[in-house]
Amino acid sequence: MKLPVAWMREFVDLPDGPSPVADRLAACGFAVDGIDDDVVDFDVTANRPDALSVYGLAREASAAFDVDLRPLRLAATPSGAAPVRVSIADNGCGRYALAVADVCVGPSPEWLRDRLASAGVRPINIIVDITNYVMLEMGQPMHAFDVARLAGPELRVRRARAGEPLTTLDGIARTLDETMLVIADRDRAVAVAGVMGGASSEVTDATTRVAFESAWFQPGTVRATGRRLGLKTEASARFERGADINAPVAALRRALALLADLGAGTVVGGLSDVYPRGADARVLTLRRARLTTVLGTAVPDATIPRTLTRLGFDVAPTDDGWRVTVPSFRVDILREIDLIEEVGRHWGLDRVPAHFPALASIPRASAPGVSRGRLVRRTLCGAGIQEAVTFTFIDAAAAAPFLADDAVTITNPLSEKFAVLRPSIVASLYDSLVYNRNRQATDVRLFEVGSTFSSTRGERTAVGWVLSGSRGSHWSGDAGAVAFTDTKGAAELVAEALGAPITAAAADDLTWLARGERAAVLVGAQRAGWIGRLAETRDVDVPVYAGELDLDVISRAAVSGAREIRPLPRFPAAVRDLSILVDERLPAAEVRGTIRSSAPATLVAVREFDRYQGKGVPSGQVSLSIRLTFRHADRTLTDAEVQQAVETIVDALVQAHHAVLRGR
Amino acid sequence: MLPDLPALRSEFDAALAGARTTADLKAIRDRFLGRKAGLLTALLKALGTVAPDERRARGAAVNALKTDIEARLAERESAAIVEDVAPGVDITLPGRVPAFGRRHPLTQVRERIEDIFAGMGYQIIEGPELEDDWHNFEALNMPGDHPARDMQDTLYLATPMPADEQGRRASLLRTHTSGMQIRYMEAFPPPVRLIAPGRVYRRDNFDATHTPMFTQVEGLVVDEGISLGDLKGTLQAFANAFFEASVKTRLRPSFFPYTEPSAELDVECQGCGGRGCGLCKQTGWIEVLGCGMVHPAVFEAVGYDAGKYTGFAFGVGIERLALRLYGVDDIRMFYENDLRFLEQLAP
Ligand SMILES: [Zn+2]
Repeated sequence: MKLPVAWMREFVDLPDGPSPVADRLAACGFAVDGIDDDVVDFDVTANRPDALSVYGLAREASAAFDVDLRPLRLAATPSGAAPVRVSIADNGCGRYALAVADVCVGPSPEWLRDRLASAGVRPINIIVDITNYVMLEMGQPMHAFDVARLAGPELRVRRARAGEPLTTLDGIARTLDETMLVIADRDRAVAVAGVMGGASSEVTDATTRVAFESAWFQPGTVRATGRRLGLKTEASARFERGADINAPVAALRRALALLADLGAGTVVGGLSDVYPRGADARVLTLRRARLTTVLGTAVPDATIPRTLTRLGFDVAPTDDGWRVTVPSFRVDILREIDLIEEVGRHWGLDRVPAHFPALASIPRASAPGVSRGRLVRRTLCGAGIQEAVTFTFIDAAAAAPFLADDAVTITNPLSEKFAVLRPSIVASLYDSLVYNRNRQATDVRLFEVGSTFSSTRGERTAVGWVLSGSRGSHWSGDAGAVAFTDTKGAAELVAEALGAPITAAAADDLTWLARGERAAVLVGAQRAGWIGRLAETRDVDVPVYAGELDLDVISRAAVSGAREIRPLPRFPAAVRDLSILVDERLPAAEVRGTIRSSAPATLVAVREFDRYQGKGVPSGQVSLSIRLTFRHADRTLTDAEVQQAVETIVDALVQAHHAVLRGR
Repeated sequence: MLPDLPALRSEFDAALAGARTTADLKAIRDRFLGRKAGLLTALLKALGTVAPDERRARGAAVNALKTDIEARLAERESAAIVEDVAPGVDITLPGRVPAFGRRHPLTQVRERIEDIFAGMGYQIIEGPELEDDWHNFEALNMPGDHPARDMQDTLYLATPMPADEQGRRASLLRTHTSGMQIRYMEAFPPPVRLIAPGRVYRRDNFDATHTPMFTQVEGLVVDEGISLGDLKGTLQAFANAFFEASVKTRLRPSFFPYTEPSAELDVECQGCGGRGCGLCKQTGWIEVLGCGMVHPAVFEAVGYDAGKYTGFAFGVGIERLALRLYGVDDIRMFYENDLRFLEQLAP
């Protein structure tokens, strides 16, 4: 709301210059967007339609500076009947007042044009300018019809008919529907109620008789209509926030006073005022004790009625506070707490002493996901993977590889790039990998913790990662390029951190991953995620390994609380290394399984420490080196016992896998 | 009485024999040859006080001792350096640092805020990013046609989602994390002292100061007798911990449907110390967060006794704080994940 301060000075005596006014009103809740010469641009909050006016802000200033507010100068109410009939056929209109005048249309005087322009409204002609002047001054939107261009001397407020046409003042031909409220003459719609007038009855230089409309429309109706038409105007902005149901007649009388002052016309007949239901003033109770509790300070008793009275409330003392009658322009004041705010903001929030709330009970524990998220992030950072944060909505193409037909889409996305909620963290993380590779980064390792979405499984919390390039280079030697084992390692690390053992298993539904380099991650028998190499690497010319874990599945399987520590062994272990040749397609897990099932209970650990193919190994075979650790809980094992165990294991490997023992 | 040169020599001999490290050698050099306070330097300076007939001989003797000390010290010093070098080790080459990532700046700021409030006895809660109309709007005093819904341009789901236990279905991307607080109050009685961090969504422009997704931390305290004064004290404590201990703050009245009275918290501009600069648009203040006393309608929606309990709530945008903290001027940088940016952060 652009406020020319000189205009406000017609109603209140204020300190010189715009700044003191701007500062004081800002402290009362009207943030200042800028000051240009004598014009202050106030950011009026959505709950204060009454302050979208010079007089409304003057009323605030009268309370803020504790000075009197001078009344508006209104014309006397003309008597008799208006020569245009008015009827209301829909309760979307609560009041409709009208006055008719014979006029001589031309440009407004310079001071009026300047004043409108400084408030941000374009001057048009003296009649339209008067309606805009009254709207800016009082906050009551008005409209003027050219009576000669109406069919019949009557106006009806009714719902539009489906498909009813109306060309609005902006020259756009619109098609209305029956949810919209219109002003119509005998034959057709001539204005969209509370939003914009129609071109057919527009006031022009040729107009000789006008009907001034000053009405009250239901906020929801105006809001819905404006939205359906994609139309927002100065009038609709005020009506949809809630106009003053008692303003229509005063606004007409103000317009008639200006008409006379400017010599632009004379009223014909009296005022029409159709006000079917009437409205009682709202009366609220303000308790002194409640005010003190909420604000945390006692505002002096004398201040409270003084402030409220200056703001337009009627205040009467009671035993424990005040009975307060709310003026009709304060549509935001519905209950006691609203009055407490009025007192508080004018008393000054800076005068409320700061205090610190006592901790009166044991705090409840934080959500488990909080510490889990921190642990996962720190663990993966420690493993050399950088945390990223990406948008959770992506374009359909990026989401497609990860989807069955369970995409969650947005009705009104900002653009097609943000139309689908990601089914996988990797789906959105991949863009950041491409972004970095396009900027000369070769080794890109990123992870993200966040939500994934599907229409069947709903919203899930997951961690996902993408790895490409080298594992890191150092002058002492290169660690090599990232491979399947790195993405598996990331999964194992997260699982270890959370205390849930995982296994990798073949799965053929992981279609976004390359065959042969993909696996489902299982916790027990339950699917907890996936790892592998991305099958399609759009815009990237090196392999990209990725993985994702559902953190809720993982943590459900996790050990809760502290892990129990096993007693440390009291006797030494015996270690034996085996190198065997087996078929290259035989999974190491099967070899391990055979070893475990054939070995005595003294076998405490099996660990692969080399996998080799090349010189000395027949093609189609692989050399696996395995370290076996034996230990007895109560005594030292003898060489013979260990040897016996190893031989049993070797026999089983030969039997089960045709393994050939190497180097012996 | 002039110092005894032989005594000085034997003192040097003993010191040199006892030297173990380069630091020891340096101490010896300083004691005997130091340019200001070295013992031999002092002797040379004092030659002027010696009787003229003795001066020449005395000068020669002092110089001889100085040359000798100089030579023996230099020998030991170079030996010391050679002794400290092992074959195959160059102490000047970069060390082997295990690869490490850094937490994202939005995570770092968020955890910092969480830690500040956790230290004040707040619990940290979590909740869904897809919300139903009740938790995002209605329970927060924003019924169907409430104009304030326009303040938060909402992204709606086109896909029907599975219903929750109450039979409610998510229909939108949450515009704030307040829905979590409603869920919490529906489940637990007062007192309440919590913060609710998380991603939120608005159908907003995508430019240097706006992104359609951003991160919020909201706070809520409910108990008997909680006042606006408590809100002020709490936010002052937060500002002191997050910015600097002496930072000035102020509350300006504002409007939110779910708080009353509502306010914005400004902190003194760190760029100019409150004098006014480009950063603060010459006002000397930076807007940091929105806050207020919980509207009784919110308590009524969750079944709290609005006559008995009062409370305050606040919401802070993490990106805004991060922009200021890292001296970044484009909010989009937080979502590009450019390694050249992220790798400048502390691990
Ligand atoms: Zn500044």
